Amino acid sequence: MWKLINIEVYKIFKRPRTYIAFAAITALIVIIQLGLYVDGETYIDFLMSNLKESFDFEGKILNGYLVCYLLLQLLLIHVPLLIALVAGDMISGEANMGTLRLLLTKPVSKTNFVLAKFLAASFYTLLLLIWIAFLALAVSTWIFGTGDLIIQKNAYVVQIASADVLWRYAYAFVFAFLAMLSVTALGFFLSVFAENSIGPIVATISIIIVFTILSTMSIPLFQHIQPYLFTTHMVNWKEFFDEKLDASGNVMTGSVQEIEQVYHSALVLGMYIVGFVTLSVFIFKRKDILS
Amino acid sequence: MEQAVINVRHISKQFKLIRAVDDLSFTVQQGDIYGFLGQNGAGKSSMIRMLLSLIKPTAGSIEIFGKDLSRHRLEILRKVGAIIEKPDVYKYLSAYQNLKLFARLSGLSPSEKLLMQELDQVGLAGRAHDKVKTFSQGMKQRLGIAVALIHNPEIIILDEPTNGLDPQGIAEMRRIILHLHRERKKTVLVSSHLLSEIQQLATRILIIDKGKKILEDSAAALFDPAQTMVELITMDNTTTEKILSESSWQACLQPARNNALILKMHLQQVPAFNRWMVQQGIDIISLQPRNSLEDLFIQVTTTSHVETH
Repeated sequence: MWKLINIEVYKIFKRPRTYIAFAAITALIVIIQLGLYVDGETYIDFLMSNLKESFDFEGKILNGYLVCYLLLQLLLIHVPLLIALVAGDMISGEANMGTLRLLLTKPVSKTNFVLAKFLAASFYTLLLLIWIAFLALAVSTWIFGTGDLIIQKNAYVVQIASADVLWRYAYAFVFAFLAMLSVTALGFFLSVFAENSIGPIVATISIIIVFTILSTMSIPLFQHIQPYLFTTHMVNWKEFFDEKLDASGNVMTGSVQEIEQVYHSALVLGMYIVGFVTLSVFIFKRKDILS
Repeated sequence: MEQAVINVRHISKQFKLIRAVDDLSFTVQQGDIYGFLGQNGAGKSSMIRMLLSLIKPTAGSIEIFGKDLSRHRLEILRKVGAIIEKPDVYKYLSAYQNLKLFARLSGLSPSEKLLMQELDQVGLAGRAHDKVKTFSQGMKQRLGIAVALIHNPEIIILDEPTNGLDPQGIAEMRRIILHLHRERKKTVLVSSHLLSEIQQLATRILIIDKGKKILEDSAAALFDPAQTMVELITMDNTTTEKILSESSWQACLQPARNNALILKMHLQQVPAFNRWMVQQGIDIISLQPRNSLEDLFIQVTTTSHVETH
């Protein structure tokens, strides 16, 4: 199995297409960092204009932690589209190249083959997130420095002490990995059915767009199905950036306001991942290889 | 003593409305070059894919090395090498990288020396580190052979291995198959639409049509000179047939086909038969011995179609 995973990872990183996502993310993050570096204060003034009427802010609001948060808010909506490029190609791409039939004439278990491919795609997703973490967090704190993280929620403002931020990012990235893995699993599942990559890639992207719209619109009809959509739960990495208050209204350092919601979302995402992968194995084992 | 290495029993494959393979049974003996023939769409590729468990039969069973394929797939595939239609490998990798990758998939950890030796065997050592996307079809085919042979299989299954090759490539492929059979003692199952190639290679031949077995026999029996079919066209076939039926050649007469009289005789009798007809004053337009595989193939598939209709 380990050998199979190695081979699959090797193939992924030998393909030029793999690096599109890394290049796109690098370009996007660098452009945003550059914009904020040059004219970030104006942007922050605009964001905080309402708050500044009621509060006095001291210190550096535009710091690396805030830049990272802004980047994640933006990127974690678009990264699934880049993940779909690789995940949707995992099996259908082999069928399209004609290599699938050659691979399966070798003494390789079909179950191990599918699992190795999924794990290789997961490794790619992990590397993509590590790259995002490096650029968005490490590089941003290097450029913009550190400080308290001030985030405006719908009805209130959260201020997290600088020393209390890093672990939240660590957990947020772990959660984001789980969220992105559900996209990987979806793209992978769809790739089992097709004999060219375009179909599963476009289908994955379409499903994410439609589900994201359904997850965010506050229409009663949609609200009934929102708890069951994985896109509803993908955004809950943000819950790590909210703190509990004690009985006297003081912030409980090191706490997470809606930790049960985080656990629930992680469970739903996990179920989606296991479901898609199990179905992929089940269908692939029964599929006639005609490509 | 001959030993059956592939035993196919009553295999059928149904694709929705199409019955690709219909109750097909055959046996490949160890050491055979087994020629698998059929028109396009006859069911050859479907059968070969079932032999490699790429598709599942609707009915019937396949035993390879005496073991049921559906239950011992991995064990069997360790001893089988195959090329299905085009030998598609990873175009963005080099020949060396491709071979190493497929060797590892076969459970090997080959040294650089071994890989280079294998590439040398198929004449690709000089291009080992070039990307496959720069290769000609013939070079890809040879790399496919190296991939199929890297784990030293006992049976080699080649589905249309000469597809897309130029005459030089076809001759090279023939040389490789004969080398595998004679020098490395491999059993080879090969399908091809190039009948002359199969005739030059095969020790045993199976012809299928519409998924059904039409004919299976050893090449020696099929091309027995004593059983040569002779096609005769004269100025007046009706009169000639009457003359023949009253002569000593009467026993050789076969049912007429395509405006020609057909006689079965030993190849060495043909000149004497020719002289006799001239002596009878028969105006001959054409007298042609038909004992090539192409003749046999047309004969049996035409008969099969006539019977079907």
